[in-house]
Amino acid sequence: MSLLAVARRDFLDVRRAKLVWAPVALYTAFMLLFFWGQSTASDPDFYGIIWGLVGLGGVLLVPLIALVAAYLSIAGERESGQIKFTLGVPVSRTAVIGGKLLARGAVVLLGLAVSLALAVPIAMVFVPEMTIEYGDYALFALTTLAYALAYVAIAVSLSAVTGSRSRAMAAGIGFFFVFNIGWNFLPVRPIEMIEFVLDQFGMTASEELLELVYSLSPTGAYMNATELYMPTRFLEMVGNVPPSDPPFYIQGWFMVVILAAWIVVPLALANWRFSKAQLG
Amino acid sequence: MTAIEIKNLTKRYGSGPDAVQALDGLDLTVREGEVFGFLGPNGAGKSTTINILLHFIDATDGTATVFGHDVGTESMAVRSKTGVLPEGFEVFDRLTAREHLEWVMDAKGITDDAGAILETVGLSEAADRQTGGFSKGMGQRLALGMALVGDPDLLILDEPSSGLDPTGMQDVRNIILDLAEQGTTVFFSSHILGEVEAVCDRVAILNQGELVALDTIEALQERDGGVESIEVTVEAVPEPAGLNEFNGVQRVSVEEDTVVAVCSDTAAKVDVVRWLDERTTVTDIISEDTSLEELFHRYTGENPATEQQTAGSPETPAQATEGSQ
Repeated sequence: MSLLAVARRDFLDVRRAKLVWAPVALYTAFMLLFFWGQSTASDPDFYGIIWGLVGLGGVLLVPLIALVAAYLSIAGERESGQIKFTLGVPVSRTAVIGGKLLARGAVVLLGLAVSLALAVPIAMVFVPEMTIEYGDYALFALTTLAYALAYVAIAVSLSAVTGSRSRAMAAGIGFFFVFNIGWNFLPVRPIEMIEFVLDQFGMTASEELLELVYSLSPTGAYMNATELYMPTRFLEMVGNVPPSDPPFYIQGWFMVVILAAWIVVPLALANWRFSKAQLG
Repeated sequence: MTAIEIKNLTKRYGSGPDAVQALDGLDLTVREGEVFGFLGPNGAGKSTTINILLHFIDATDGTATVFGHDVGTESMAVRSKTGVLPEGFEVFDRLTAREHLEWVMDAKGITDDAGAILETVGLSEAADRQTGGFSKGMGQRLALGMALVGDPDLLILDEPSSGLDPTGMQDVRNIILDLAEQGTTVFFSSHILGEVEAVCDRVAILNQGELVALDTIEALQERDGGVESIEVTVEAVPEPAGLNEFNGVQRVSVEEDTVVAVCSDTAAKVDVVRWLDERTTVTDIISEDTSLEELFHRYTGENPATEQQTAGSPETPAQATEGSQ
């Protein structure tokens, strides 16, 4: 199967690139810092640490790891002419996208999984008095991996529709600013815009609608997926209370659906575009 | 059975008045088992044609088939039977030479002897080194090795000698001749004519997207009268206009103290030397077979770099008159 051939070669190639491993090391280092910080606290809170990791990891580190690992996956080959070897053999363009996703996804998910697994013994050493909720921790780890995979899929997709290193980088950074920082954290993000526009017509936006719009970005979905494993008392404490009796589209499980859509939709669009690209 | 059949192949980049016509109704048939030279100056449309054959780009109009498979709709079948040495590539820095060949085997779903191929292309010593430190020539050898994996029915070589030293070019020629003997069809593009002459059964000359000649090299030479050239270095250059009087001398040019005469038959070369010897002291003679350069020049209107001045033209150097006294 040619998809696997692409993935095997690409994995072999990319795992030897040191740059790819640097962000994972960074993620581990930050995790260490969090545990060390809690070790001096009088009442270490397991969910406090996880919340910190979701915040920092979700906003900065996981997108950074995934974008660095995958933004050049296809655009780099087009710029250097390596694509002529990749497509000079009987390999379809769809297989190139699939193979790249598999290889880069494997690198990122493996790195993060090691990092997340290391966190458990580290926590035991630094904060022995803290209780680790293993079930909740597993859900945190799984949603983090799903979130990372969504970013890898986005980066591979952007890479497939841009023809050069500089454009791929611009597209990756642009996506990060619009759909991460811009969508979820700036004071003029989409939910504020909707509120403002509706306000002009003398209407108020429903809380559920705003919550959905917030969750439509990968980062928003990842943040709101915390509902799946964080106790309500903790979410209330950090001011992220889910509305009571929420409609399905803002429940925790639907956040996973949104993350899955961020994997499937960009790849489908990129596949459609890349299959018609002129690679002369 | 035809290996490659190209009919009315047309490729335009852009549209409107700015459109660039890279290929203009190309018709070409490459027979199975022949070594076919695809010639033309840079920008003639050679790479465009190859890119269409491999489905890297789509043709604007026309069709092309490889062993009967349409290059657009049955590209996978085409690429299964083809080995490609592309132009303007980079190898994968962090993979070893052997891993490059293993990738091609993996992608083609076949097994082959990587060690033997690396030996063929002269990379045995570097087999297990990452290619990041490879020279341009080593990269070219590796790319040729990748094209050879699985002993494909058709070998497409786009400017195979670029970056190679003379030994490398000789190696490439020998490999091509070996493959041709085994019945492999070789489609070989080049803008260097000398390397085509030694290996190709037939050549096509492409210029500005159009086919301007298609035949064996011998037939092309015969049709237009054979051409050979002689370079004579002399102590003082005489006014060379008299040389044009000889039958068989086609053009004469002067470069510093060297007279270059392009002749249509060998006997004329002797006349040129004798004539010059009567008028001045000859210090060196180089008889060169630039026949292909000449042919190329005729079909494409491109001046080979050595031709600068024509005899009798106003630019003839002043010292020519001194010499004839």
